Amino acid sequence: MIFTVLEMFRHQPLILFLFTFGIACAAGGVPPIIERSRRRTIESDLPAMLEALSDSIGAGLGLQQAMMAEADRNTGTLGKLLREAMAESHSSSFDAALANFATKSRSSQVQRVMHLLATAIENDAPLKEILGSLSRDYERLNDLMDLRESDLMGRSVLIMLFVSLGLPFLIAFIVGLFAPQAAGYQLESFNKSFIYFFGAASFIAVSVGGRMLGRLRHSLWWAPLWMAISMSIYHVMVMIIGG
Amino acid sequence: MDVLLGSGVGLEATIHSIAQGGYGVISEDFDALMIGINKGRPLERELQDLLRKIEDDGYKRVVNTMLNNVTQNTDIIDTLRKQGQRMEEKRTEKVKAYIEDLGGVPETLLSIGMMGPIILSIVGIAPQLMAGAEELFGTVDQGLMMSIVNIGLVITAAGMALTGIKAHTKDPGL
Repeated sequence: MIFTVLEMFRHQPLILFLFTFGIACAAGGVPPIIERSRRRTIESDLPAMLEALSDSIGAGLGLQQAMMAEADRNTGTLGKLLREAMAESHSSSFDAALANFATKSRSSQVQRVMHLLATAIENDAPLKEILGSLSRDYERLNDLMDLRESDLMGRSVLIMLFVSLGLPFLIAFIVGLFAPQAAGYQLESFNKSFIYFFGAASFIAVSVGGRMLGRLRHSLWWAPLWMAISMSIYHVMVMIIGG
Repeated sequence: MDVLLGSGVGLEATIHSIAQGGYGVISEDFDALMIGINKGRPLERELQDLLRKIEDDGYKRVVNTMLNNVTQNTDIIDTLRKQGQRMEEKRTEKVKAYIEDLGGVPETLLSIGMMGPIILSIVGIAPQLMAGAEELFGTVDQGLMMSIVNIGLVITAAGMALTGIKAHTKDPGL
């Protein structure tokens, strides 16, 4: 069966190349997804953590004590990072531990907050107000980012499914039905043009979908695989429907 | 800036904090401004230079507020807070407008992507479909038809790309 399938692609080296290249690229596409999910988990937890720190400081605790209490309470990724940072602060300084915590989070939001906190500590500014204000600001920002993600994710997937899967299937159906190869139609160059077109259309769909969600570079890792799938659907369906 | 200034941090320390904070273009500008200050140039002149370079309306207003504070000792905290709220409202509106604008993109892409290939596929196989009807339609050259199909497919792909480009041009940059 494998040889039969491979035989279908005997005259399509580009599709075979894109499949191989696409599988390799997909391996590069997974880490950004995992990293993004981790970063968003941390960023979603950030406003609650800042609010808790603000409350603790308002109750009379110092920043380090408040952070230690929050590290014990928070069971998420942010809490884990905070626990590590607090443990490190015993062997180094608190400022160094905060900087390390910001770097390890790999989140620009956390890094900005920690930098702002460091400035506030240097200038003896009231931390309770600062933390409370930051908590509200980042909560609003995260709500907006979540709104964009939830509203545009469906549309992005729809574009890829419509253009990369639906479109080649539809055109292959029309061509296979009205100009079947079994009836003697000579469609080699015609099919070649359409196969290239579906590859290009798929690339456009993946790029547009990725750009809508604000992560074009990450989505491009998946482009070769989607291109290969789209081109294969057209090629195989024309062969099957056209006999 | 509102948070730091409102908490009693000075303007110069706030500028320094923003310069080191990774806020993109603003951080770069403020970093250049701090370099100028460290060389002995007055903050007022640095802010005036920066104001001349800026094109964005909201950013211009922020720097203008800072300049007014330096030259006339105006209430920078209150003004920045109001500006911040206004900009945040604007940003929320922009994101919602962006989501709305992109609502029709899947359908438009599919329409262009479907209409073009359907018409072109008929054009491409027309010479063979009408093989026995030369007297009625005249001789149709297969090579010419394939050239038309190829150009048409390129135009269709370009049309799809142009439809999708508004996902980039209208991005509010959240």
